[in-house]
Amino acid sequence: MLVPTIGIEVHAELKSKTKAFSNSKNAYDNYPNVNVNEIDLGYPGTLPRINKEVVNMALKAALALNCKINKKMHFDRKNYFYPDLPKGYQITQADTPIGYDGYLEIEVNGNKKKIGIERIHIEEDTCKSIHTMDGTLLNFNRAGVPLIEIVTKPCITSPIEATSYLESLREMLLYLDVSDVKMEEGSMRCEANVSLHEEGTDKLGTKIEIKNIGSISNVAASINYEINRQKDLIENNIEIKEETRRFDDKTSSTILMRVKETGNDYRYFPEPDLPYIYLTDEQIETTRKKLPVLPQELKEKYKNAGMSDVTIKSLINNKTLCMFLENVYDKINPVNGANILTGDVLSYLNKNDVSLNETHLTISKFVELLISLEKNIISSKQAKELIKDLMENDETVNNLINKKGMIQITDESQIKEMINKVLDQNEESIKDYKEGKDRAIKFLMGQIMKESKGKVNPSLASSLLISELNKR
Amino acid sequence: MTNYLEKNVTEINKLLREGTIKPLDLVNEAFEKIEKEDLGAFITLNKENAIKKAKELENKEIDNILFGIPIAIKDNIVTKDLRTTAASHMLDDFVPIYDATVVKKIKEKNMIIIGKTNMDEFAMGSTGETSYYGETKNPWDNTKVPGGSSSGSAASVSKRLTMLSLGTDTGGSIRQPSSFCGTVGLKPTYGRVSRYGIISFASSLDQVGPITKNVYENALLLNVIAGSDDMDYTTSDKEVDDYTSLIGKDIKNLKIALPNYYMSDVINEEVKENVLKITKLLEENGAIIEKIDIPYLEYAIPLYQTIALGEASSNLARYDGIRYGYLSKNYSDIDSLYKNSRSEAFGNEVKRRIMIGSYVLSGKNAHIYYEKALKVRNAMKKSFEKVFEKYDFIIGPTNTSYAYDLGTKKDDALKSFYDDLLTIPVNMAGLPAMSIPIGFSKSNLPIGMHIIAPWFEEKNIYRLGSFIEDKLNLDLNPGGEK
Repeated sequence: MLVPTIGIEVHAELKSKTKAFSNSKNAYDNYPNVNVNEIDLGYPGTLPRINKEVVNMALKAALALNCKINKKMHFDRKNYFYPDLPKGYQITQADTPIGYDGYLEIEVNGNKKKIGIERIHIEEDTCKSIHTMDGTLLNFNRAGVPLIEIVTKPCITSPIEATSYLESLREMLLYLDVSDVKMEEGSMRCEANVSLHEEGTDKLGTKIEIKNIGSISNVAASINYEINRQKDLIENNIEIKEETRRFDDKTSSTILMRVKETGNDYRYFPEPDLPYIYLTDEQIETTRKKLPVLPQELKEKYKNAGMSDVTIKSLINNKTLCMFLENVYDKINPVNGANILTGDVLSYLNKNDVSLNETHLTISKFVELLISLEKNIISSKQAKELIKDLMENDETVNNLINKKGMIQITDESQIKEMINKVLDQNEESIKDYKEGKDRAIKFLMGQIMKESKGKVNPSLASSLLISELNKR
Repeated sequence: MTNYLEKNVTEINKLLREGTIKPLDLVNEAFEKIEKEDLGAFITLNKENAIKKAKELENKEIDNILFGIPIAIKDNIVTKDLRTTAASHMLDDFVPIYDATVVKKIKEKNMIIIGKTNMDEFAMGSTGETSYYGETKNPWDNTKVPGGSSSGSAASVSKRLTMLSLGTDTGGSIRQPSSFCGTVGLKPTYGRVSRYGIISFASSLDQVGPITKNVYENALLLNVIAGSDDMDYTTSDKEVDDYTSLIGKDIKNLKIALPNYYMSDVINEEVKENVLKITKLLEENGAIIEKIDIPYLEYAIPLYQTIALGEASSNLARYDGIRYGYLSKNYSDIDSLYKNSRSEAFGNEVKRRIMIGSYVLSGKNAHIYYEKALKVRNAMKKSFEKVFEKYDFIIGPTNTSYAYDLGTKKDDALKSFYDDLLTIPVNMAGLPAMSIPIGFSKSNLPIGMHIIAPWFEEKNIYRLGSFIEDKLNLDLNPGGEK
């Protein structure tokens, strides 16, 4: 049987303040060719500079991917001509990637698997070509933007594993706060290498590289298509040549871009304009200690706390909500907190197209709300009602509860008084109850709520009702 | 015509302070002389701006010894708003948008930039003949080469068209023309002077340095340009010395090595005789001179061809006609745009070097040639380290000979590399070295001597250099028409 071997290369833009080798702004927005200086344009005489923030971000990613670290590393030049490459070479790391030999743990259908990471290295992005009817335009805002390239070992065996790996990697980089990882905006880009070989044999088949895949789901689609295409070729005894293909999402197929020529010659050599970078053990350990809690650990924690899979997924996908919850995690019942955040809060944010920090909801207000709920001062229905006000106004939870007259009646004698008043007026229902008709309770509760104008604590009232009924 | 430019900086500074002369007098004299000459020492003159600057300086306090002094800048050092061509058709219309760090420093000292000097194209050559703008002539004999690649920088100082100049040195490009033109030229330690704004030839070898009439002025100019720069991560954080501080000190008990490599059969006899006169002089004054062997020096040329040309092939890839520089009118797609722009605008020497450089970095060659060269380079550096455990200096001739006829080596690509036989090892090891005039050939052409010191010991080079200069007291002004 033919089995696939898949390797994945991911480029992620680092969100450092400035570019990889110059101090011009690293930003994607604005007009074309504004975040540009003479270094980014490759002007004669210019030299690259080292950006410590970039090195540190890459180190974070390498450590989070459980990589070994090249403590003495340098940059290399990859030489080739292309209009989007201003110097005629790209500064990258060929010999000494910052990290190598790591892994990322993924979960597929409840089974865990470590995806081996071959290497992670720092390099600079090219400028962006825009092809028009009148020719090609170049936007150098992207020239020199720092990238990390993360290459897996050829150890992925199915499209679903590939998807899971990419989702986990994306989440991880997001939580490390090193990249925006938006595939649609190009801050995360994927290439997949796919080959087939006969199961049980060591020799891998001829590798096909798929480029230009615009979304994680398209990665799976393109791999799927490629597996079937290669199977057909092999079964019909047609030789597979090493080639680069691109994914076409209209037809959901891969299309030939170019057949690989014998060994692309990039004339790599060490970048002589930059000295070696030495990473000290101390620096590595400090960075390791400062790594934030990563999605993998969070998922585990939330699962153990008893959250539903849907809630967990929603939280992880909404990092600001997740971080908000982490900030209050020990002060409240996290399951209730998560439910409110992924329910009412998230739908409010989506509906109004705002982010959490644009609302008036603060950590202290949220804790106050949750504690009021846990102490039965308010009902969960009331909590839902309050959330909107808390997001739109600066008022405290207490003030709002008072203003809206939301305080629940929890005084037992007061509740008993109300219950007996209701019972006195509904002799029929008492009779029904004694005869074992359950709906009588429901009816009586409704009457009690009406009597208290909804302020009586429902669970307290319900248990008191039964004891009062039994006394009759 | 005035003759202020023949005087030394100290005298001029005194005249300026006294108010006897103004900076404008110096500038006017410079342009008057340059316009009369046909040495081909300049590519672009900065006349209008230099005059404007000189007038501005009349209202400023003279705050340093180089205030108002005219200086010429080699044309591979970028100058904001002043055309910078690297003597190549490729950059014929290139006007930089920024100043090289050394140019910034020179402007801060209120020196006046006279113009951009002629050179071998992209600093590739040792005769000054590969320039797109034509050859530079030797001020001592117009039929001879001035040496290269900093041909115009050396010739203009030698002919007293300017008081000071800046050159660059990748394999001997400051020292060789200095020795041919009778000027003092120093290549500082690699990392001592910022390369930011130097149009790269070979990044791991290039250094900027001063070319001057005498040792003291050379030290003054190094004082201005030396220092770390956060625009060049290959500069050293080591503190900058006062490079004039040891000038005038005696040389008693200094230990000097004279490598046999520098006195071999390939070296011109007259040159060797002159060097031996100096060793005798030094011994008479208490220095200790010993002949030694330094291993690996004999690999200088192949090392250069591999490392310098490998780096050059990459450094010159940016000249594609797209963002700046020459764009061929004749192209139909991106490949023909590249091919035609580069074929039409690069000269033969540059093309040859790009091809060799691309070859040594290609595929398996990178391993066979480039990586091996880096190892030999390291071994060469170590053998220098060993020498400097015992000796304060290495001396020898700067070049195998003195200036030869224009055109001699034009068609011999290999031979011109051999001009740099004695200078290349210094670049490979990143050492500081100076060429000073020590005499003349029978044909009245200057002969230069090499003083090489340990890393960052430039001040000691000036000490020994000024001692020799004082004792010899040569007339180094080539004078009028020859």
